[in-house]
Amino acid sequence: MKAQEVLSRIFPEGFEIQSGGAIFHGTGKTSSGKVAVIGTEGHPVLGISVLLQLSEVMLQVLRETPRRPILLLVDNDGQKMALEDELLGLNQYIAHLVMVQDLARRKGHPVIALVYGNSCAGGFIGFGLCAGHTYALPDSNTSVMILPAIARVTKLPLEYLEELSKTVAVFAPGVQNFERTGGVESVWDGDLNQCLEQALQKDQSADQRAELGAQRGGRPLSATVINRILNA
Amino acid sequence: MKKHIARNYLEATARQRIKDFLDPDSFREICPPTEGFSSPHLHYFAIPLAFDDGVVIGEGLLGGFSVALVAQEGRFMGGAIGEVHSAKIVGLLRRCLKTRPQAMIFLFDSGGVRLQEANAGEIGVAEIIRGILDVRAAGIPVFGVIGGSCGAFGGAGIISGCCDVLVVSEEGRIGVSGPEVIETNMGVEVFDARDRALVWRTYGGKNRFLQSQVQELVENSVAEFRAAVLRRLPCSSDYSLEALELEQQELARRAARFAGSRDAIEVWRKLGFTDAEQIPSLTAGELKKLREAK
Repeated sequence: MKAQEVLSRIFPEGFEIQSGGAIFHGTGKTSSGKVAVIGTEGHPVLGISVLLQLSEVMLQVLRETPRRPILLLVDNDGQKMALEDELLGLNQYIAHLVMVQDLARRKGHPVIALVYGNSCAGGFIGFGLCAGHTYALPDSNTSVMILPAIARVTKLPLEYLEELSKTVAVFAPGVQNFERTGGVESVWDGDLNQCLEQALQKDQSADQRAELGAQRGGRPLSATVINRILNA
Repeated sequence: MKKHIARNYLEATARQRIKDFLDPDSFREICPPTEGFSSPHLHYFAIPLAFDDGVVIGEGLLGGFSVALVAQEGRFMGGAIGEVHSAKIVGLLRRCLKTRPQAMIFLFDSGGVRLQEANAGEIGVAEIIRGILDVRAAGIPVFGVIGGSCGAFGGAGIISGCCDVLVVSEEGRIGVSGPEVIETNMGVEVFDARDRALVWRTYGGKNRFLQSQVQELVENSVAEFRAAVLRRLPCSSDYSLEALELEQQELARRAARFAGSRDAIEVWRKLGFTDAEQIPSLTAGELKKLREAK
């Protein structure tokens, strides 16, 4: 789905968006007030320049409209793989964007990420997985590495991995697998405006992904280990 | 008399590093191997288990200051982050909010997310970041120490960028995509991973130090890493909007100033080091003196 179509379905009461290159930003109307919107389209790879633009727009929201909810519309093909970006510390640029999102949430902005296109590897960590809650559309793609590449690295036959991925959620790409492991809170289907309204009501103060992963069976041990350590 | 030999950080195991890093006999490991928390997924891939899943966590003293400590073991699957590995780190970070140590110390040695548990590892990285920022928001400083053979790459590299202070040796490489990954995906003309000198200049501690991405550059010995962290204690974390606004300006300035640079030597020359070619052969001490003179 294109960004424009997603925006129309999420904000039937209207939205105002500016686009520039791979990123767009603006506001959308909901029954509970305006929501800041920041997104990427055309599945760019996230290099230093796109990351800096995203963190600047987000800092502007923090500066000018305290506590306004922020919706991140996510579509990327991962982090940029380039010598130039690594030379200047790409990890720090991604970490910076992550910290801006995290601090926004602590300062009372609900931060909601919706993966509507692709989101991969370092791109998913930088823009998607570090929001207050992460959601996805049914036809979106979330991944760390595609199965043929995993087969190459693990030296296991692709057919074996494909068969295994039908029952084990922990390694194969796909929104359902990220939902079962607790990384995606839920998949938005039907009335997207209602989905956003519900997401806006949710408390974002605690990270409950390990518990979700245990309940849904995709990550059997995380929550147990965390609690064991808390009470050691 | 027992002769004291400074332990080589790069070659030490996670447990050897902890032993020499903290005050003698002060470390108490939590979830030690005897409790048997290992990966529930690696058997699908016919990979032998480690009973600590490649990470040691616990509490101890550093120069009398109470600290919580994570040490990744690069010798087990390259320190890769899987379900149990990340849960142990997240558990310790959440525990810090109860026990309130005077510092949290993270000894990185990881190539990033463990592909056999890719989704759990990816989410684990996000949970660790949130845990670190919870600890920092509580005022407790988080130190990252990077000097192991796997460095801090992929998700581990991103986590390192969320720490208050990084202490790094020249051997401690930091990045997101490593040279082999870039070469495989983008072609050898983009990055020749066999050019080891280029790899060190790009990812190594000296380049990160000269660009102010890390705060302390030390020689490759556990004692030096320990001393560098200790010099900064006690302190508190500054995780604020003002700090992030400053970081935004600093990162934008760096991107503009070095735009188009293809080699660290160009960057160092732009920083005012006329003998930039000599930098790879300097010791950490010599390089620090040279930078101070600027």
